[in-house]
Amino acid sequence: MKSKLSWFAVPYVGWMALMVVIPILIMVVYAFTTADFEGTTENFSEMGLYASVFVRSFRLALIATLVCLLIGYPVSYWMAREGPGFQRLAMALIMLPMWMNFLLRTYSWMSILENNGLLNQFFRAIGLLDLLGVEYIPMIGTPGAVVLGMVYNYLPFMILPIYSVILKLDGSLLEAARDLGADSGRVFRKVILPLSLPGVLSGVTMVFVPSVSTFAISRLLGGGAQMMLGDLIEQQFLGGAYDPHLGAAISMVMMVIVVVCMVVMNRFGEGEGEAVLL
Amino acid sequence: MKRQSRAGSRLLIGLMFLFLYAPIVLLIIFSFNAGDSSAVWKGFSLHWYTKLFQNRLIMESVYTTLLVSLLATAIATVAGTFAAIGLYSLGRRRREALLTVNNIPMMNADIVTGVSLCLFFVAFFQGWGAFARWFNSIQSAVVLPDRLVLGFTTLLLAHISFNIPYVILNVAPKLRQMDRNLMDAAQDLGCTWMQAFWKVMLPEIKPGIVSGALIAFTMSIDDFIISYFTAGSASSTLAMAIYGMTKKRVTPEVNAISTLLFLSVLALLVISNVKEARQESRDRRGIVRRPSALDRLRQKLAEPRFRWVRRGAAGALACAFLASVAFLSHATGSRPVVNVCSWGEYIDEDLIIQFEEATGIRVNYQTAESNEALYSLLKSGGADYDVVVPSDYMIGRLIAEDMLEPLDYSQIPNFSLIDDRFKNLSYDPDNRYTVPYTWGTLGIIYNTEMVDEEITSWGALYDGKYAGNVLLINNSRDALGEALMYLGYSVNTTDPAEIRQAYELVADANRRGVFQGRVMDEVFQKMEGGNAAIATYYAGDYLSMVDNQADGVDLAFVVPEEGSNWFVDAMCVLKDAPHYDAAMEWINFIASTEANLANMDYIWYASPNRVALEQYPAYYEELYGEELDPEVYEIMAAPPETLERCEAYVNLPAETLNLYNTLWTQLGID
Repeated sequence: MKSKLSWFAVPYVGWMALMVVIPILIMVVYAFTTADFEGTTENFSEMGLYASVFVRSFRLALIATLVCLLIGYPVSYWMAREGPGFQRLAMALIMLPMWMNFLLRTYSWMSILENNGLLNQFFRAIGLLDLLGVEYIPMIGTPGAVVLGMVYNYLPFMILPIYSVILKLDGSLLEAARDLGADSGRVFRKVILPLSLPGVLSGVTMVFVPSVSTFAISRLLGGGAQMMLGDLIEQQFLGGAYDPHLGAAISMVMMVIVVVCMVVMNRFGEGEGEAVLL
Repeated sequence: MKRQSRAGSRLLIGLMFLFLYAPIVLLIIFSFNAGDSSAVWKGFSLHWYTKLFQNRLIMESVYTTLLVSLLATAIATVAGTFAAIGLYSLGRRRREALLTVNNIPMMNADIVTGVSLCLFFVAFFQGWGAFARWFNSIQSAVVLPDRLVLGFTTLLLAHISFNIPYVILNVAPKLRQMDRNLMDAAQDLGCTWMQAFWKVMLPEIKPGIVSGALIAFTMSIDDFIISYFTAGSASSTLAMAIYGMTKKRVTPEVNAISTLLFLSVLALLVISNVKEARQESRDRRGIVRRPSALDRLRQKLAEPRFRWVRRGAAGALACAFLASVAFLSHATGSRPVVNVCSWGEYIDEDLIIQFEEATGIRVNYQTAESNEALYSLLKSGGADYDVVVPSDYMIGRLIAEDMLEPLDYSQIPNFSLIDDRFKNLSYDPDNRYTVPYTWGTLGIIYNTEMVDEEITSWGALYDGKYAGNVLLINNSRDALGEALMYLGYSVNTTDPAEIRQAYELVADANRRGVFQGRVMDEVFQKMEGGNAAIATYYAGDYLSMVDNQADGVDLAFVVPEEGSNWFVDAMCVLKDAPHYDAAMEWINFIASTEANLANMDYIWYASPNRVALEQYPAYYEELYGEELDPEVYEIMAAPPETLERCEAYVNLPAETLNLYNTLWTQLGID
């Protein structure tokens, strides 16, 4: 029976080879060639120029991931304690925003954060701006706005996996811990937290990866001054700086860094070798 | 105590939802805006909803989006579920290796996935073409098509391939939780393998399959980049249409369609939730619902003796589906077509319908995000457009790289209506490739409520008087061009020293915090709402901003004394265009006086058609019953004395382009 089931994997392996591996190989070829397809490593040596973009992207993505975790973990934990009706509704509501195009949603944030935007108008109305003696509180165009955009867009990806792990926790374990004299703080630290770690790890991955490679958020909310890796790559493929070879090289480096980060992190994750995404 | 803590946590969950939904509520509100803006409220109106249903581009893209997302989700869910089951019966080492590969598409920037898939498809098509030609030459019984192009199929394949990983990731944990002995037990108890699979395994992993399908579907709906590179010229998704608008203005029509989509999904969710909640409360109270007629039918069909009925029905459904897809593609394939790629919100769509009715040629109208995005799509071989409408400098580049086909002007009699000023321009000196579409000038737009002097010079961008309130245009050619003009150099200079000097001017202002940001179409929202004092953009767009400015904002436009850029967007035909004659008909139609008047009225950009340009004030008066403000007309169609100060961009040599790119990237890094 085992062997019968494993035949199911065969078409998938073929499909992956065709649609995932070959395209990646094409990308690698691009990364190591010039516009005339002669071998070169120039694309990589050129990248030193963009070191600050790498640093900024990883820093902002990291901050966004942390913020997502800080919001997402408690929310998932509380949600898991609610009744099934509440849970279902909450889950649906968390997925629902993705049905609005991401560009439109980000535009909408612009009009909230502008110098003359809704938030500043609100602050003006309640007299906060007069109190501080400023005309407006600058929000748009700051790194904070970019982080906000990332958190907004990727928060659901943090909540979903953590929530589904916490939901499945064996209730009897918690009871046992309490019976053995652990107070609620201890139960959380010693039982719930370690057991929910796989969910946290996959949540972190699912937020961090798209945050690092995001584009447009920094252009719209960061005023174009907070260039990120995604924008840099986009510029090589879609922008005036058309150079797919450099773009492929940057993507490759980014991918390698991300994969290494993930592997290291998963090793920390109590050595459970299973892929813990979701 | 317990209750209190729950109220607290509910409050915080509520706050999170406020955060998630505030922008969406705003979006929905602005779909009812009477004005064109998504930021400045001009009163309540259902105008965009009625316009939406007449907007064929958006409706078609919605149809494509839904179809491709549904198909891709269905296929990916089945394939992903089987793949996950297969993976979980493999040994641990092999499973982990495969799961790592499975995660790759998610670790890759979308754009890389998109580009590499595009290159892969194109390479495959070339290989197939060679094979088909060879195969057709050795026998004549079967004729294989030797020219395959990107289209709905490749779009679908791409979506399937990025959806499968999400399904696997959702199904996998359920499989991990499932007791592996369950299947064996079922079979020991006399189930066939199939029965064990259907009755034991599937119900066990069903929640994972459902959530996987849901995520896959949502991802499909939201995707832009991968679609952009794999959709080719025949189909475009809603996300692509929205991005296509970003060269101009994103209209509230997309807010309207998004609102409708959003509300229908919301309704579905609410219905299914209510249903499940009812079921649950019934279960809790131990009420057994009397089986309805439908349930009885279902039960009956589940009996083994009806197995053949079930299978037959499934097969018939599948056949019907395939037939309808084939019919649809045939129906659209048998009519003559012309594939047009332009910019979003850059044509009066009635013209498309008029053209189709007059000629019987179907127009596939697609949009690109920018000249550069169009170029990269063409360069990677991913498009088989017939007509494109790039700007002057990009046309120069396309001609230089031998990517355009000369036009047959004998088929375009309306070309004679084009004003001589717009013929034989530097990008196409002998006028062999182009018919101008629109023209206009770049200038300074400023809010007179925030700027108390009359601006006449580009210097206002750099002098720091309006620090923090100046918007720099987010494309290297315009941004550095403005500085070059301020310094008195040509916008087409190839002297690196001059370009560097211009860059220093911009970079210095940037370091001093003069610029609030770098913008393209965000400029509408920023200027209309009074969020910035000075910006540079195109004359036609200024006019649409004035229409939508908020109270307390009063915008003015000036072509600075140092001169400016004037641009032409022109229609050209790509090399080896598959529908050359249809393309000629389309170009001739769009060059006509009637089409130019309609377009001029719709997009506010000046027409290159001599007659239309002259007649527009009269046309306006007839249409709206009031006189066209001569100042507006002058801004729209700059008079000769203004144009004298202006210079068109020409395609720059490669090393100068590289310098532009390096400097521009540098500005982003500083």
